[in-house]
Amino acid sequence: MNHLNSLFIDDEMTLEDKISFVRHLKHNPSTADEALYLLKQETLIRGEVVTHMPETTFATASTWEKIRDFVAQPKRLVTASLAAAVAILMLVLWSPQTTLQPNRFVIYRPDISRAEITGSFTDWKRVPMKAVGNSGYWEIVLALPEGEHRFSYILNGQDSFPDPTILTREQDDFGGQNSVLLVGNTV
Amino acid sequence: MRLFNQFYIEHKNHLFAYLMRMTGDYYLASDILQESFTRLLARYRARVWSKALLFKIARNALIDEKRKYRGGKRQTFTEDLAAQDNEHELMIRETYRKVLKALHHLEPMEQEILNLKISSNLTYRDIAGIVGTSEANVKIKIHRARIKLKSILKDEV
Repeated sequence: MNHLNSLFIDDEMTLEDKISFVRHLKHNPSTADEALYLLKQETLIRGEVVTHMPETTFATASTWEKIRDFVAQPKRLVTASLAAAVAILMLVLWSPQTTLQPNRFVIYRPDISRAEITGSFTDWKRVPMKAVGNSGYWEIVLALPEGEHRFSYILNGQDSFPDPTILTREQDDFGGQNSVLLVGNTV
Repeated sequence: MRLFNQFYIEHKNHLFAYLMRMTGDYYLASDILQESFTRLLARYRARVWSKALLFKIARNALIDEKRKYRGGKRQTFTEDLAAQDNEHELMIRETYRKVLKALHHLEPMEQEILNLKISSNLTYRDIAGIVGTSEANVKIKIHRARIKLKSILKDEV
């Protein structure tokens, strides 16, 4: 029964559970004492750990620090050099004309209140999709250059959802998926 | 990138607290904090970043670091907080030092699950997913950890 104290502290109870729990406390002073103690203990163990946060942080690292860190890792430097060489070679041998093609993205999700799209063509920024009346369809038309693009829909601002009509997908270790879209004639 | 920065600002303190509670090592926690956000950005650009994913990545980074330590590459990783130098001690709030030592008296699984809860406030279900156990087991371990802490910290509360 006492593990209910932890469920209460961690907000893992339904309202009905909480009502039963508080009734239980009224009739069991020893459980009530322990609940009170554990709540006080919780404020102690959830307290601030350090006197100050570390100064070097991800967001505030200066450009110079990033370059220095990058150069300090030979493996990365070699990879970057190779990538640059390939990019230059591609530019010399192949100068494509960038043509944009309109692409209509549509999903049918009548159960959501908001849909967005994020992908390589939006620089992974979320772009809101428009509800098609009350039909449950959400759509957006975006002009995309020829090539391979990766994208995913975001439902209600939090759930990633691959395009069900596109079978080519990329998977990650956590079960998330991106749709892979080919636009135009690609090599 | 702005979205990522918002996510970073929102969660960095909680993640750092988790890493401090797990390692007791200010500099190691700083390294893993940075490594975790770097991995998140590099590998999961397409995903909606979630707190559960961030803590899972941090946990994996921590496991990688422990493996390195076992291999003798890192000298600072310690499970014995008493062995730490004064510089480390100064970074930890005086009122929290006893708590940190008490947390390290718990069994590893209990320590990890309770740390995840108090640092991230994730649900039992999310925590179960992160550590690869059942929700029922999380419930048991968390309460058991709190009761153990009660006997260790009785003079502090």
